[in-house]
Amino acid sequence: MSYAVELINISKYFGDVRAVDNVSLKVRKNEFFSLLGPSGCGKTTTLRIIAGLEEPDKGIVKLDGKDVTYVPTHKRNIGMVFQTLALFPHMNVYENIAFGLRMRRVPESEIRRRVREMLEIVRLTGLEHRRIHQLSGGQRQRVALARALIVQPAVLLLDEPLGALDLKIRQRMMVELKRVQREVGTTFIYVTHDQTEAMVMSDRIAVMKDGVIQQVGAPYEIYMRPRNRFVANFIGEAINMLEGTYIEPGVVETSIGNVRVEGGAEYVGRRVAVAIRPEKILIGEEVSGDVDNVFSGRILMTIFRGAFVEYRVDVAGFEFIVFKPHVGGLARIYQAGDVVKVGWIKEGGILLVD
Amino acid sequence: MKLFDKILKAYTYTVLALIYLPIVILIIFSFNESRSKVVFTGFTLENYYSLIGNYRVWDSFYNSIWTGAVVTVVSVVLAILMAYGVSRYEFSGKTLIDSIMLIPIIIPEIVEALTLLVFLVIIGIELSPYTVIIGHVAFDISFAYVVVKARMAGYDPQFEEAARTLGADEIRAFTKVTLPILAPGIAAAALIAFLESYDDFIKTFFTRPPGFMTLPVYIWNMASRRGFPLDLNALATFVVAISLIFAYIRNRIERRVY
Ligand SMILES: Nc1ncnc2c1ncn2[C@@H]1O[C@H](COP(=O)(O)OP(=O)(O)O)[C@@H](O)[C@H]1O
Ligand SMILES: [Mg+2]
Repeated sequence: MSYAVELINISKYFGDVRAVDNVSLKVRKNEFFSLLGPSGCGKTTTLRIIAGLEEPDKGIVKLDGKDVTYVPTHKRNIGMVFQTLALFPHMNVYENIAFGLRMRRVPESEIRRRVREMLEIVRLTGLEHRRIHQLSGGQRQRVALARALIVQPAVLLLDEPLGALDLKIRQRMMVELKRVQREVGTTFIYVTHDQTEAMVMSDRIAVMKDGVIQQVGAPYEIYMRPRNRFVANFIGEAINMLEGTYIEPGVVETSIGNVRVEGGAEYVGRRVAVAIRPEKILIGEEVSGDVDNVFSGRILMTIFRGAFVEYRVDVAGFEFIVFKPHVGGLARIYQAGDVVKVGWIKEGGILLVD
Repeated sequence: MKLFDKILKAYTYTVLALIYLPIVILIIFSFNESRSKVVFTGFTLENYYSLIGNYRVWDSFYNSIWTGAVVTVVSVVLAILMAYGVSRYEFSGKTLIDSIMLIPIIIPEIVEALTLLVFLVIIGIELSPYTVIIGHVAFDISFAYVVVKARMAGYDPQFEEAARTLGADEIRAFTKVTLPILAPGIAAAALIAFLESYDDFIKTFFTRPPGFMTLPVYIWNMASRRGFPLDLNALATFVVAISLIFAYIRNRIERRVY
């Protein structure tokens, strides 16, 4: 089976800037795939290379198994939703959506039918005669989506399409995008710097930094098993990163004492980090059961977050972030100055080498 | 500061009056019954009737319009191509082109007209309506270029890229998306180009063949030969009216910004 999109060792330079650095990716058919990374890491450039709007300096672009590296954009059968949307201001909603079919010289009667169908899918029926400036942000989003999808592209490229929307509409559009993607059964490649968007919608995510792919995996994989410090820090709301040395199999020496870890015997003698998610840490006067790592600390700050309580706990000079859910009714909420124990099982710690 | 404001206001009104009062007076006296330039003796449309009956007026009006139209089309098409090239592509000499395009606006028209005439004589081209058109294009293109280029500066190339992702080749992306979006700017450029040509006297006067008259040339002929006949006022009013109509349309179009 061929992949919807395949990038093989793609590099792109702008002068001295290495925008995309030896990127290889395989995007499966009908997958919702996200490129996630901070601003300036090369996401847009990668997307534009797939679209043919930018020529790579090195490497091969394949669409559906065929080498298209030098095929011009208009012959690639891709769709793109631009960051600025780039809806045509001189056309109404109907004409915008029909544009791709007009370019393919589809008969007028079929255009009418397919535009109507598309309007239904993106839930814009009745607005076909509006002009673009008469639409809300969310509606424009849908027009851009419909315009790109109507030509039934093999892959749809989306460049931070929700960036300009406010939070509530953004959350609604995330669900909408996912629904549309299932409904039309098209491969989506979605670029964003917002991990929530990537997490909510994606089947798989590629995390990018400085033009280099750091890790590719399902949302739970990159959250639970980040490959390096950058991914661990970038994904998730917070993480406790204990730097130390792997001194003997299963033990890492850190500034707060020895920490038990799972596996990694091959790292003996090396600098490593143990990363623990805030929700994996238990907190209480006593931490009982088979908890491999238990340390004494003092509460620095208590933040009530609604679904959970966030504690900042000082342990021998290291500040732990701990999320404690309200399990089984009203639990005690500790206050600054209280002395507590924090602990976690060794499988809750992630061993990071890079 | 109050006093300063008042002075400024008075100054503004004075300048406006100096500019427009002669035109207003000219218009009023185009309806004057007697030949007097000072006393308004009674209202009449007689001057306008005599104008309508004058075939030379129609002839020069016709010349003004058709040369103006040709000049406009040629200037605007050339200006669009140049502005598009300069805005969209990187190459050395870009700023040089920009400066060169401003020169016709800056240098005195009479110098331009004279050098053009000398040039035409040297290379042995006989004066004809087409030399008039060449003369007009040579500076109208600058006005059109400045206007079109300003519009292109604000034009997002992503519109064209979007068209290409939707299956348009570069030519169709340009004709179906870029041109229509720039249309208000192009129309404004066309009207300016037309007005500049329609208004022009000096260039036309130098580059026209004998007997070929546009409205401004005809007015000059009337004024210099027959003293100051009354239907001249009427004719001038007519010319001003046409200019105002075009200026008004231009303003309306300019406001249509995408
Ligand atoms: N046309 C360009 N000319 C010069 N530098 C560019 C151009 N496009 C992108 N870059 C640079 O390449 C890097 C990656 O940019 P981009 O792909 O837009 O990142 P992202 O979309 O992840 O924010 C940045 O450093 C950016 O400044
Ligand atoms: Mg970007």
